[in-house]
Amino acid sequence: MGDITHRLRGGLIPLAAVIGVLAVLPIAGAPRSWLLYLLLFFIYLSMANMWNLLCGYSGLISLCQPAFIGLAGYTLVIGTWWGLPIHLGMIIGAIVAAAFALLISIPVFRLRGIYFAIGTLVVPEALKYAFLIWRPVGGTIHGGGAGYVLKGAAGFSTAEVYWLALGIALASAFCMRVILRSKLGLGLASIRDNDRTAASSGINVFKLKLYSFVIGAFVTGIAGTIFYIYQQYIEPTSAFSVRWTMILILATVIGGMSTEGGPVFGAVIVVFLHFLLARYAGINLIIQGTLLIIMMLLVPEGIMGFIRKTRPYRSLLELATSR
Amino acid sequence: MREETLLKVSNLDTFYGGFQALWNVSLEVKPKEIVALIGANGSGKSTLLDTISGLIQSNKGSIEFEGKSITNLDPFQIVTLGISQVPEGRRIFPDLSVLDNLILGSYNRKARLKREQNLKMVYELFPILEERKNQLAKTLSGGEQQMLALGRGLMSDPKLMLLDEMSLGLAPIVINNVYKALKKIVERGITILFVEQNVRRSLEEAERAYIMEAGRVVLSGDVADLREEEKVKKAYFGI
Amino acid sequence: MVPEVLAGLSDPIIMGILLGGLYILIALGLSLVFGVMRLINVAHGDLVILGTYFAFFGMTGEILGHRLTIFGIDPILSLVIGIPLLFAIGFAIQKFLMSRAVQISMEAPLIIAFGISLIIQNICQRLWTPYSRGLTTSYALKSFSVGVFHIPLVYLLDFICALIVMVILREFLRRTYLGKAINAASQDRRAAQLMGINTDRVYAFAFAIAMATAAIAGVFLGLTFPFTPTSGVSFLIIAFGVIIIGGLGSVLGTFLGGLILGLAQTLGGHVLNELGLPGAATGQYLFLYVMVLVVLGVRPQGIFGR
Repeated sequence: MGDITHRLRGGLIPLAAVIGVLAVLPIAGAPRSWLLYLLLFFIYLSMANMWNLLCGYSGLISLCQPAFIGLAGYTLVIGTWWGLPIHLGMIIGAIVAAAFALLISIPVFRLRGIYFAIGTLVVPEALKYAFLIWRPVGGTIHGGGAGYVLKGAAGFSTAEVYWLALGIALASAFCMRVILRSKLGLGLASIRDNDRTAASSGINVFKLKLYSFVIGAFVTGIAGTIFYIYQQYIEPTSAFSVRWTMILILATVIGGMSTEGGPVFGAVIVVFLHFLLARYAGINLIIQGTLLIIMMLLVPEGIMGFIRKTRPYRSLLELATSR
Repeated sequence: MREETLLKVSNLDTFYGGFQALWNVSLEVKPKEIVALIGANGSGKSTLLDTISGLIQSNKGSIEFEGKSITNLDPFQIVTLGISQVPEGRRIFPDLSVLDNLILGSYNRKARLKREQNLKMVYELFPILEERKNQLAKTLSGGEQQMLALGRGLMSDPKLMLLDEMSLGLAPIVINNVYKALKKIVERGITILFVEQNVRRSLEEAERAYIMEAGRVVLSGDVADLREEEKVKKAYFGI
Repeated sequence: MVPEVLAGLSDPIIMGILLGGLYILIALGLSLVFGVMRLINVAHGDLVILGTYFAFFGMTGEILGHRLTIFGIDPILSLVIGIPLLFAIGFAIQKFLMSRAVQISMEAPLIIAFGISLIIQNICQRLWTPYSRGLTTSYALKSFSVGVFHIPLVYLLDFICALIVMVILREFLRRTYLGKAINAASQDRRAAQLMGINTDRVYAFAFAIAMATAAIAGVFLGLTFPFTPTSGVSFLIIAFGVIIIGGLGSVLGTFLGGLILGLAQTLGGHVLNELGLPGAATGQYLFLYVMVLVVLGVRPQGIFGR
């Protein structure tokens, strides 16, 4: 979608229209369930965009995202216990996540490909155990562990959280657009194809991957904090849970990895599944796991990738770009 | 009715790595012949052998062995039918013993039944392999590894052996020994199609030859005739 | 305080070594699949746990909240069915899923294994509830004393079993046609194909054998520790830690890697206990994970790595 609108004469107008409609929905009296649905979609989209940046464009299969989400969330929540305003908590949370990404890159960036993946898998698990033992604020509770309520969230209406979420989704898309068309983006493209050839043509592979990793952590962190503003409660097992990773992988694979528009499709479907499968909570994962496997084997390029290959799309593209 | 041709390749087109590597290649090998496949690097010789062995799929054309089509069969099936390849660079299993390498050669079910018999034959041809049978393959010298590779190929009880660049990296004396062994192999009724960069040597050892250039067969015929061919003289002997 | 911490160190040390046996058992399957097919099976831990739950079912007859009283089989005996079952599952996974995944992209095997992992977790959760379980046989709770050492019986069984399985596996790979073929295919796939080896089938067998060891590991895991449907991840990380610390591709390395991790866990737990820190049980895992990350940061090729 990104490339069509890019080339259409006055191409940004339809996109702006859509965004405009989304923005006024809360004021226009849309039902609360719609807002929640979309809110979740925006959050997942932001995170999926970042995961796409990491896996689809930088060749970093990061299973580490829950660490950033959880840390940012905890920074926010604990911040509110110390009287920190929520908006500030969001930013600081994201900074903490980004700083952590920097720290973790030391051991983890020595690994490649699938070893990198498992190395990153360890991190959220370790954090989970750490927060199960450690209780930073508040009195000791039975069973220990850091389960907290977000303080001061009463001041936030659904509409406000909605707009924050919309904001970060747009920011993530914008971020992707900017990165992919910059020098960083070109460098990443060559790294994704082949680490070693890229390095031998003078590209500082480590630095570029680090940029992706840290930026990805930052944006994912903000999206995470918004999620916790919405949920108003955080506890270790779900904060650092592999279910976050599952959402991201599912969204990116179904939508189309390495495509700008892919995560949009993917996030729509993931949120849709989320509500559809709420009734089948018992076999929720079986369905999603099977879907993941089927998609990966039959349509590995995802929905966006598939659309790109079809004739209607190509004709549309030609039509739009010919003068 | 005995088939005249053992191996028949007809109008073969093959793609490799996204590019077309073989263009309309045709080739024949009759039983008990020694046929050479000659050409410079990149002319498609190895690709042709790999396609015959089933390692590369062909897009057009056919390959027949003993009158039956073997086009696009799996590699292990082709070995069972009686075609054995000794690949370029030997590719013996470095961390296995000499004996294990040979035993693996007889992996296919038909060859397993004749294992001890074939093992004896290999040891007769290459006594050094029996001496070193418990050593790790990677400790062998280049020439010994070549013999091991040949022995391994023989263990699969083949009717046709494909040899890819046997003399690469070997000293002249060793190469002579290898070719001597080749003659003994043919005496036992095995047909040989070999790829060799050294044109002069090829034309000495073979009965017939095919010359390839850029994925096509450009010349073929009896070796005696080829030697007289103007093109061959100019290109390879600088006359 | 130091002498106090050192006192009673003998128990954690011997227990660490024996526990290492369990970790070696768990890591063997992961190591085999990696060694042959250069694949890290991220569903490995969950497959081990599947084996554990199968033994649980055989022992208690509990499934979907009902209790089938015809069972009551000792977990180790249930391996008679457990091993072939996981063998078949492993064969199918490689033959139908992984072999295709490898041709699609570098990420595909990981993602598909991830999907398998989720499916298994969900299945175990549905069939046997999310609550913590244990294979509590009569001998699972016994301990005995040998001189200064006071050892739980299962730890000793873990270690002995690990040795037995390691030896069997090694002999199999060395002496049988299939074992040699697996070896060959892992060294040079193309050359193996030229030997008449059906490498697709050989890979499937290798994966299946790895799963058979996972079944055994699962039983002993259940005898040693409580488990839940989500325990798989922890043991995947531990298995990964074993082969990373020991060095990828080294049998001796896997052995020592297991011992080192076992020791790290028991000694770490001991220190936490002595220091009076709460959550020593959970803390042990944290200790292990941090250790894996430290090794990754300092010496990623492991102690015996190439």
